[in-house]
Amino acid sequence: MKGITKSFYGIRANDEVNFEVRPGEIHTLLGENGAGKSTLMNILCGLYTPERGTIKINGEKCFFKSPKDAINAGIGMLHQHFMLVPVMTVWENVALGDKELPQVLPKNKVIEQIKELSDVYGLSVNPLAPVWQLSVGEQQRVAIVKLLYRRAKVLILDEPTAVLTPQEARHLFRVIKKMAEEGHGIVFISHKLDEVLEISDRITVLRKGRNVGTVAKEEASKEKLAEMMIGKRVAFAIDKPIQNPGKEVLNVKNIKVLGDRGRLKVNGISFSLRQREILGIAGVSGNGQEELAEALTGLRKPISGKVFVDGDDVTTGNPRDFMKRRVSYIPADRKGTGLIANMNLRENIALRKYWKSEYTRFGFFINWERIAGHTGKLVERFSVANPSLSYPVRLLSGGNMQKLMLARELSDNPRVIVAVQPTWGLDIGATHYVREVLVSQKEKGSGILLITDDLEEILALSDRIAVIHGGEIVGIVDNPDKVTEEELGLMMAGTKLEKYPVYDLKEDELE
Amino acid sequence: MPRLIIERRFKTPFILSIVFPLLSIVLALLTSSLLLLALNVSPLGALKGMINGALGSWYGISEVLVKAIPLVICGIAVALAFTMKVWNIGAEGQIYLGALASAAAVRYFPVENTFFMLSVMAVMAILAGAFWGGIAGYLKGRWNVNEIITTLMLNYVAIHLVDYFVYGPWRDPSSLGFPMTAPFPDFARLPTFGGTRVHAWIFLALIIVILYRVVIRWTRWGFEIRAIGENQRAALYAGIPYIKNVVLVMAVSGALSALAGMGEIAGLQGRLQHGFSPGYGYTAIIVAWLARLNPWGTVLVSIFMGIIMVGGETLQVIMRLPLASVQVIQGLILLFVLASEFFRNYKVRILSGDGR
Amino acid sequence: MLRKVMLFLAIVCFAVSSMAAYAAEGIPEEKLTAGFVYIGPIGDGGWTYMHDLGRLEMEKAYPKMKTFFAESVPEGPDSARVMETFVRNGAQLVFATSFGYMDFVQEVAKKYPKVKFMHCSGYKRAENVGTYFGRMYQARYLSGLVAGKATKSNIIGYVAANPIPEVIRGINAFALGVRKVNPKAKIKVVWLFSWFDPGKEKEATLALIDSGADVIAMHADSGAAPQAAEEAGVYVIGYNNDMSKYAPTKHLTAPIWNWGTVYKYVAGQVINGTWKSEDIWWGLKEGLVDLAPFGKDVPELVKEMVKVERDAIINGKHVFVGPIKNQKGEIVVKEGTAMTDEEMLGMNWFVEGVEGDIPN
Repeated sequence: MKGITKSFYGIRANDEVNFEVRPGEIHTLLGENGAGKSTLMNILCGLYTPERGTIKINGEKCFFKSPKDAINAGIGMLHQHFMLVPVMTVWENVALGDKELPQVLPKNKVIEQIKELSDVYGLSVNPLAPVWQLSVGEQQRVAIVKLLYRRAKVLILDEPTAVLTPQEARHLFRVIKKMAEEGHGIVFISHKLDEVLEISDRITVLRKGRNVGTVAKEEASKEKLAEMMIGKRVAFAIDKPIQNPGKEVLNVKNIKVLGDRGRLKVNGISFSLRQREILGIAGVSGNGQEELAEALTGLRKPISGKVFVDGDDVTTGNPRDFMKRRVSYIPADRKGTGLIANMNLRENIALRKYWKSEYTRFGFFINWERIAGHTGKLVERFSVANPSLSYPVRLLSGGNMQKLMLARELSDNPRVIVAVQPTWGLDIGATHYVREVLVSQKEKGSGILLITDDLEEILALSDRIAVIHGGEIVGIVDNPDKVTEEELGLMMAGTKLEKYPVYDLKEDELE
Repeated sequence: MPRLIIERRFKTPFILSIVFPLLSIVLALLTSSLLLLALNVSPLGALKGMINGALGSWYGISEVLVKAIPLVICGIAVALAFTMKVWNIGAEGQIYLGALASAAAVRYFPVENTFFMLSVMAVMAILAGAFWGGIAGYLKGRWNVNEIITTLMLNYVAIHLVDYFVYGPWRDPSSLGFPMTAPFPDFARLPTFGGTRVHAWIFLALIIVILYRVVIRWTRWGFEIRAIGENQRAALYAGIPYIKNVVLVMAVSGALSALAGMGEIAGLQGRLQHGFSPGYGYTAIIVAWLARLNPWGTVLVSIFMGIIMVGGETLQVIMRLPLASVQVIQGLILLFVLASEFFRNYKVRILSGDGR
Repeated sequence: MLRKVMLFLAIVCFAVSSMAAYAAEGIPEEKLTAGFVYIGPIGDGGWTYMHDLGRLEMEKAYPKMKTFFAESVPEGPDSARVMETFVRNGAQLVFATSFGYMDFVQEVAKKYPKVKFMHCSGYKRAENVGTYFGRMYQARYLSGLVAGKATKSNIIGYVAANPIPEVIRGINAFALGVRKVNPKAKIKVVWLFSWFDPGKEKEATLALIDSGADVIAMHADSGAAPQAAEEAGVYVIGYNNDMSKYAPTKHLTAPIWNWGTVYKYVAGQVINGTWKSEDIWWGLKEGLVDLAPFGKDVPELVKEMVKVERDAIINGKHVFVGPIKNQKGEIVVKEGTAMTDEEMLGMNWFVEGVEGDIPN
């Protein structure tokens, strides 16, 4: 790809970008969110048409009008959502959309081909299994089989490890390396520096839509890549001051919570959170974390069990009951839940405060002047870069949105903070800032429940770690410095380890 | 080969949101001219006739206002629901039910005092409309029943309910069996002004417009409605109760439309009659949408619709145009204005050659 | 100030005197403009279509006259504006062709006392408001004779618009005609609750045919019923105008309107200055109602019989003359007495032989 240029709304998402992949090579595309990685790859697989620039495959100039052209040219993309049909079996999913097959599907032929591919690349896929029975990692491998079955020569893997346990990621890396050995060109997209360094042959860094440079693996280091990504030096370490945990602020007793489709998503979880403590809940996404967080903030009612905040039973409380007890909630889904994209900064700050007496007049009108003043102070304190307080927040960057949400949730010195994936999708600078703010809030006395699938974050911040799998706590780690990623990975996959028993906090241990 | 690329506008320049509707009206008139020329009618004469009919005399203006009153009230009513992304298609039925309730007041609790009589009628209309809207609101909030379907179906129920009464128990014995109630006594009529048919609800419409503005902009409830409309999950997260608000909004929306219904029969008709509303409840949806839920926009668009309707009648009478062609012209104007919405939100670029 | 008052008085005097002059002298043909308010589109092939034919007939008779018309005017407050628009554009004579305009005719007439209003089928009159309608029941009675002779199953279907006296009167007259020639026949009535709804009209026709009717009569404004009858191979009696174009082989006849007779008469009076408010209720004699030409399946004998009855009515025979029994078999009109116009205008019961209810 040479000189690729593409703009949206007059903003250049790609500006004269060059990128190449050789057969047998794993080439990583690295960059922060909004650096132009996705745009570039969507151009490569035919979803967008570039304004300028050329794509050559094996030296031949190509022009893709649609994704079909790209597939025919041997380019396959593994999306973050696999686009498989859950009720169908693996082989049916693989055969689906293959126009060359006759109307009556030659089942045995397809199955045989799947087995062959599976053996060659170590994918271990059972062609007859229905997709809904498979784990996320297995589904991902089915999606890869599908790409290989379509004779993809170039495979684009878009943040493939985001949904995996460390063990599954390891398995995936083996598959990727095998594919490269067999002569495929691999484009690996990620912003996790550790895994990038582990797997890549070469690394191309994008920043603000431009090439920053391409380095071979041997020349790269974490610090160097980070500097290329954001254009300045970054500190990685977070000081984790060990505090003396205080009084218990949140106590959860054997709660069971149903998910959106009425399935039991949280199956009897108990724990206790104290002041000046960060309790990390580690686990692969979709194991009940969202439901747990919502049950602890009043958005979802547990079907059994109890939730206590500062000793008050708030199990059946509504969100406002939790707010009144100063339970803050930083949801994972910033734009979908935490903020209202089309409303301005003032209104978003008002979102969880407008009903409080200090922001109303006669109990009926909202005192917007006071809210504007409050917003102004918060924006300054949390350094939210913004053109104006009356700007809709959708125009802010992800980092500034997150800062705005933190500003709202942390400003009233909360007793409990429930933070879900607080740094998801943020650039390195913003990530660092968010973590620092959380730690300093802990020092000020809040109890923080940190729910994330980012192990690095869990290890960097937590005073204790509880591992969740299938809606249950599998193990509790009291001393995060001593635990290995492998051990955490095993527990995240559901294995109980004797070293880390699940214990209920006894009443007498509290004070 | 050249290709058309359609992109969402990042932000619509203010000037465009004025230029596009005007431009679209001009285009619609130009297109209509072709039709008129084919019918051997001078387009300029027709335009003059239309404007003259609607705005050329105090009478024309007063009639435009008469048309605009129910449109403004119902337009605000649906705009309120639309702000919360609750699609109230039921204004028409709520108009009918409000009229039914106020007619019931005249029939069963006649008070020989204009003020008290009208107050009783208004209260009855409000209760009936609130109940009618509230049903759809509750079904939506509690069981997530699609409000488009329920409100639409309730329209039929309301219209047939009115038919039941005007064909049946309430039929005026002296009407030779025609489906209408007895004429209302004078104390049950809204006052009119200056010999025109403009009635007291013109003030109600203005009050509602101002109240709507204040509620949406400055009150807690307005903020809650906006938050739910923009992002229901976030509103839940902010602790805003959904069911309560959806019922309340639908009830208020229904009550407003019901008041418009009362205005039609107490202000103009003077009795309840089969089919008394020529679809104001549906036109109000177009009004609210074209006004982009803006209260003053609602006033402007309602007046615009009034001009089209009143002017269209004049066109039919003095230019001797067939009704169908007048309706085509009215339809074209609306179509072009609606289409201009697209260009307000999107821009079209032409790409030529191989991806350049 | 005084000068202004004087001026005003002068203007008023002038206006009043010129008005009086108009009323006495009539309006010259070339200065007369008449406006027509129509309930449906002129292409409805029924009620409005016939009124429009009447308007054209009037234009032919008085070629220098001008006319306005407005189609599909709802029977609500909008109709008042249409009439006022006519007047404001110079109309001195307004015809409102549907019952529901009644209140609004009164409202506008009060505002414009020198303009003459003629309201069709209503009962409210004023100094400058007259009413007009036709004795359609006479033609209905004749068409009943034809239907009674045509039925084999002795079940005749009647597609009826709205349960109001005008329609009930038509059904009763029709039933009297049918039973005169065929005492065993029954008339089944289906209500549409609408004047113009082709879909419903067709459905009702098919339902009646399903229940055994082999002749269909109708009181509705579109040609849907004859069309459905033709398709089903069943005889049909149209309404409003000759509907044989909708049912070329099955159309027997139709009671029809000739509004032109009234319109020519009224226009002439206005031109001559002899117009005064009156209640016109004309029938076969004046030619306002009549029968359409017979279809090819109507036997000569029947045609002859209808001609005899028609002549009798023109010469003063009354259709509703006793003994007439109601549905329960009780005598309502005694032997030898004829119903008065008032009784016929308020008719709200069915004669013997009609099957169906009158809702409330």
